[in-house]
Amino acid sequence: MQKRPPKICILKTDGINCEEETAYACRRAGGDPHIVHINALRTSAVSLLDYDLLIIPGGFSYGDDVKSGRILANELMVCLVDQLLRFVESGRGIIGICNGFQVLVRAGLLPGFVFGQMELTLAINSGAHFEHRDVWLVCEESPCVYTKGTPPLIIVPVAHGEGRIAATKMVLNQVEAEKLVVYRYARADGKWAKSSEYPANPNGSIHGIAALCNPAGNILGIMPHPERHVDQVQQSNWRRANIERPHGLLIFENAIQFASRF
Amino acid sequence: MIHKIRIASRGHEDPRGEEVLRDIRRLNLGNFSDVKTVKVYRFEGLAEADAEMFASRLADVDEFYMVNEPIRNGATTVVEVAYRPGIMNPESASLMKMGSDLGFRTLLAADSSMEYHFFGDIENKNVVVVVDRLLMNAAVQHVVTEEPKTLIITATTPPAAIVPIRDLDDEALRALSKDTLFLTLDEMRTIQGHFRDVLRRDPRDIELETPGVMWSEHCCHKTFNAEIMRNGQRKTPFMTRLKQTSARYSRGVVSAFVDNAGAGEFYEGWSLCGKVETHNKPSNIDPVGGAATGTGGVLRDDECLGEGAKVVASSETYCLASPKTPSERLPPGVLLPESVYRGVVVGVGGYGNRMGIPTVLGSTHFHDDFRANAVVIVGSFGILPTARAKKGVPQPGDLIIVAGGRTGRDGIHGATFSSGETTDRTSLVNSGAVQIGNAIEEKRLFDANLVIRDKNCIRAKTDCGAGGLCCAVSELGSQTGVRVDLKKVPVKYAGLSPSEIWISESQERDVIIIRPEDLPTVLETYKLYNVEAAVIGVITNDHQLVVSYGDEIVCDLSMEFVHHGLPRRVMKAELKNESFPEPQIPLYREEDFVASFEAVVGHLNVASREPVARLYDQSVQGTSALAPFTGVFNDCPNDAVVLRPLLGKPYGLVLSQGLNPILNRIDPYWGSLWAGVKAMSNYVAAGGRIAQGEAFLIDNFIWPFPDEESLAALDEAVDACVKLMHVFKLPFISGKDSLSSTYRGHGMVIKIPPVLCVSMFGRIPNVMKTVSADFKRSDSHLLLLGRQRIGALGGSVYYDTLGYVGNRLPKPDLENAPRVFDTMHRWVNEGKILAAKSIGEGGLAAALAKMCFGGDVGAEIGVSSHLHADPRHAFFNETSGCLLLEVKGEHLGMVQELPGLVRVIGKTSPRRAIIGRQNLSESAPTLFSIETDRLRCIWKQPMLEVFGHAKEAA
Repeated sequence: MQKRPPKICILKTDGINCEEETAYACRRAGGDPHIVHINALRTSAVSLLDYDLLIIPGGFSYGDDVKSGRILANELMVCLVDQLLRFVESGRGIIGICNGFQVLVRAGLLPGFVFGQMELTLAINSGAHFEHRDVWLVCEESPCVYTKGTPPLIIVPVAHGEGRIAATKMVLNQVEAEKLVVYRYARADGKWAKSSEYPANPNGSIHGIAALCNPAGNILGIMPHPERHVDQVQQSNWRRANIERPHGLLIFENAIQFASRF
Repeated sequence: MIHKIRIASRGHEDPRGEEVLRDIRRLNLGNFSDVKTVKVYRFEGLAEADAEMFASRLADVDEFYMVNEPIRNGATTVVEVAYRPGIMNPESASLMKMGSDLGFRTLLAADSSMEYHFFGDIENKNVVVVVDRLLMNAAVQHVVTEEPKTLIITATTPPAAIVPIRDLDDEALRALSKDTLFLTLDEMRTIQGHFRDVLRRDPRDIELETPGVMWSEHCCHKTFNAEIMRNGQRKTPFMTRLKQTSARYSRGVVSAFVDNAGAGEFYEGWSLCGKVETHNKPSNIDPVGGAATGTGGVLRDDECLGEGAKVVASSETYCLASPKTPSERLPPGVLLPESVYRGVVVGVGGYGNRMGIPTVLGSTHFHDDFRANAVVIVGSFGILPTARAKKGVPQPGDLIIVAGGRTGRDGIHGATFSSGETTDRTSLVNSGAVQIGNAIEEKRLFDANLVIRDKNCIRAKTDCGAGGLCCAVSELGSQTGVRVDLKKVPVKYAGLSPSEIWISESQERDVIIIRPEDLPTVLETYKLYNVEAAVIGVITNDHQLVVSYGDEIVCDLSMEFVHHGLPRRVMKAELKNESFPEPQIPLYREEDFVASFEAVVGHLNVASREPVARLYDQSVQGTSALAPFTGVFNDCPNDAVVLRPLLGKPYGLVLSQGLNPILNRIDPYWGSLWAGVKAMSNYVAAGGRIAQGEAFLIDNFIWPFPDEESLAALDEAVDACVKLMHVFKLPFISGKDSLSSTYRGHGMVIKIPPVLCVSMFGRIPNVMKTVSADFKRSDSHLLLLGRQRIGALGGSVYYDTLGYVGNRLPKPDLENAPRVFDTMHRWVNEGKILAAKSIGEGGLAAALAKMCFGGDVGAEIGVSSHLHADPRHAFFNETSGCLLLEVKGEHLGMVQELPGLVRVIGKTSPRRAIIGRQNLSESAPTLFSIETDRLRCIWKQPMLEVFGHAKEAA
């Protein structure tokens, strides 16, 4: 008899707008997703520790005012820091997608050298605008628990205005040395795309970085949207090249598998 | 005390500054060497140490900050652009929240703005031009020249006034109406008579504003409800014609013409809904803000259908003058078309992206006569349980709640303003009609409302759009009566007069009617979602509209007078067809043909708008099943989109649109039919089905001011809509008219070409049975489906490239179109179609080129043998209802199924060129050959210049 599906907390607040498709992706992958409003966590109506995995979905939390993810990152690290610290210390996973990645970076949870210390930034795209398009991502060797056994090259959409990783040389070196880059933007031939290689690298991100994890590999931040590629028909060119196992679904399957440990 | 925090990048990277510099150089605005941006925050009430702490939290690791000190970087000039005092900056609320989360209890107010640092050997006049053209919209923003003394917005209350109207003469009545009420003299006389003879008193100002709003063209569609006198013959009102015809084809219709949107059945107890709106006037004054609030408004229309829908898609359609229109062509007081275009795209995208609603359907139509009045059409499509889709009926005793944004002095007189003509005074007198949207406010309102709906707590609802609370409350209580207290309405700042609260068009507000026992549940849910809500009144049973401010009654009018006091108009219509002579086309020469082919594909009305579409989130919600763009390079536009609004189910929502302003101007009847048939051929190109109960239509008439001539054109267009319903057995179930797009001023009268925009939404059982437009193979066959009206090049893009207009219209083949569309749908279902595109602007040439780009292949066409001896008639004809299909050789038997209506015209080929031959044998002489790589560049260039990424535009 199979164990109960892991409970996934999908964080919701003003302006988060990808929670439903993220919940759908979790369900497709065998999880038990719950969309939880941050106010319910703040009033202790529910606790983060009731869940096996935390996903901060995409959107424009609080309108991305000041900087993308800034206000929510502040709220998490000021008003929910105790729950969050205990959640992380228990070894449970966090995935931040798009705006969620921006939150994790500004909260200082990624790359996560020191809990709560911001090390790098997701700055405004080099094109200065929001942009939506399909991108290729090349999977790097990393400690990330969510990409084990996934294909070396995947295709998923990006949709953001502030996704350009910018960091000092020192931080960048440490990120690379610890192999924390999970995905880089790539050309269709699989070569990773430098910051100047628009549109393969859609935002000018340094070293083509599209996704990062922490050294333990259980916290992932990814700018593109794997939750928008869990069914064949979601990929814009499914009529040309049918991808039988949708790329985003593989990531979510790993996430559910990891979450079922707790 | 106000603390001022400035934040700038530590490094050299400043994409916004770089973008400004690029625009300066592109537009040749001066010898600037660099532009840098510095974000400015102001906080009132903070202690010094808290300001320091706040600053450290606001700055990223790659930024530095200064508190109460300027950032000195050697700039020649620094200019700070901020919202004007009194205009609510949406970022303020987030700053207040962040301050509250950080525990800063003394924080009173917050604001943000932007400093631009200009470098180089520049003069002040260069800076002024750059700021005016690129960085600031004077309707809502200003250059900060002195430090604000406070950030707390207050307003002074104008005294409530009694307006002595009973003894006014006509001239005084006219003066009273001008610039505020925009009512006609007859209407003013009706109001005067009501007070003089029935109520026997003078009105309070709010009692004058109320009919002003309720009787505006925007709110009650006087023209559409008027009787029409045409050539001495009395004709039924437009609205009656549309509704009566629609009712004959009502299978599957759930809600038509009675609610904020129209709805039709989907599957498994769900319904689809749709609404399309225009937001022209505000978008011409403040393109970003106007288009954003227009988007917010149409989304609320869907959200306020029945007990409330979830919005799953939006559309954006623009009619503009060429971005290259020189400023000398523009009347004074009118913004440059390029600024309008860029602004409205930012407004629509910014709002829709923040809402998490994919903006998937769009088009832009260029014509010089949109230079004084650009047209912005925004649409919204949603889904809801059929059981919750009927318009609610309030009951006496029910509570009236206003939820969402607070009410401010913004958007006063928007409804009456949008119903008047544009003049050069418009931007001066009425900038109060423009406001700043706050998508996040609307997003949390929508989120909460769906939860409240599913808890069964909504009796009825509507949004505050044009006319604000006045319109929403009067409408909800029209059958019963209402009593509301304006003192209970949450306001943005003190000092608003009752009349301002009543007619303010502040965005992001819904009015909800609930049973009293549901109040705790409703308020609790709003609280969880950070939505402000207040009970402002009750539904009564006395059929009176009673409005108080605290204990003082400020309005007491009968619902009868408010809703039916306006006498039905009788309007005269007389068609004076503008005559556009049919030109003699020059003799055919191959080199001219190739040049024309390239000119057609590179024409603004054909050119790729991919750089625009990329600025919108098109895959949020994960519902996409046929994306707006597909193909090898994802640059081939599809004619329709298909979504799966219920994730995990195979059911598809299909969306398409059709319009053609220039054909509408030449012949409003056939131009309108063309638009409707184009919407349908777009719909079937993707695999949609044209059949009663499967698809639903929405009309949008965007017209010049209805003088006799324009009214006659409108009459023709309405008749065309009626004809469309009869021919295809599809109903229009929602619509909107916007009849004020005439510019008058400086001795100029500019009427826009009339626009009928036909939108379609409907269902298909399986999204797998759909097709995209990109060619899939390099060895397949090409079929032309439908009958081209050969020789009819009037209004075509080809004629426009030669400077002609013409009058021979490419009239659609109404006799055969239903059969053609039906067969097309069956072929898609049988899996016989590899790719399909409907023929429209740019004709077969444009369709073929785009399909080649999509597949990165070429094509060979047997021109003389299979199309026409003169390739121009074959390739540039724009008959709507025709489609170009790609099929495998094994399916060529298809052509027998529609004798005379479908033929093989060529095949795809691996060589990236479009080659015309006399016939299809490989040895046949070549008539022309056009390399598609070069053609693709020509096709992309126009919009890349306006919207492209720096790396593409170069």
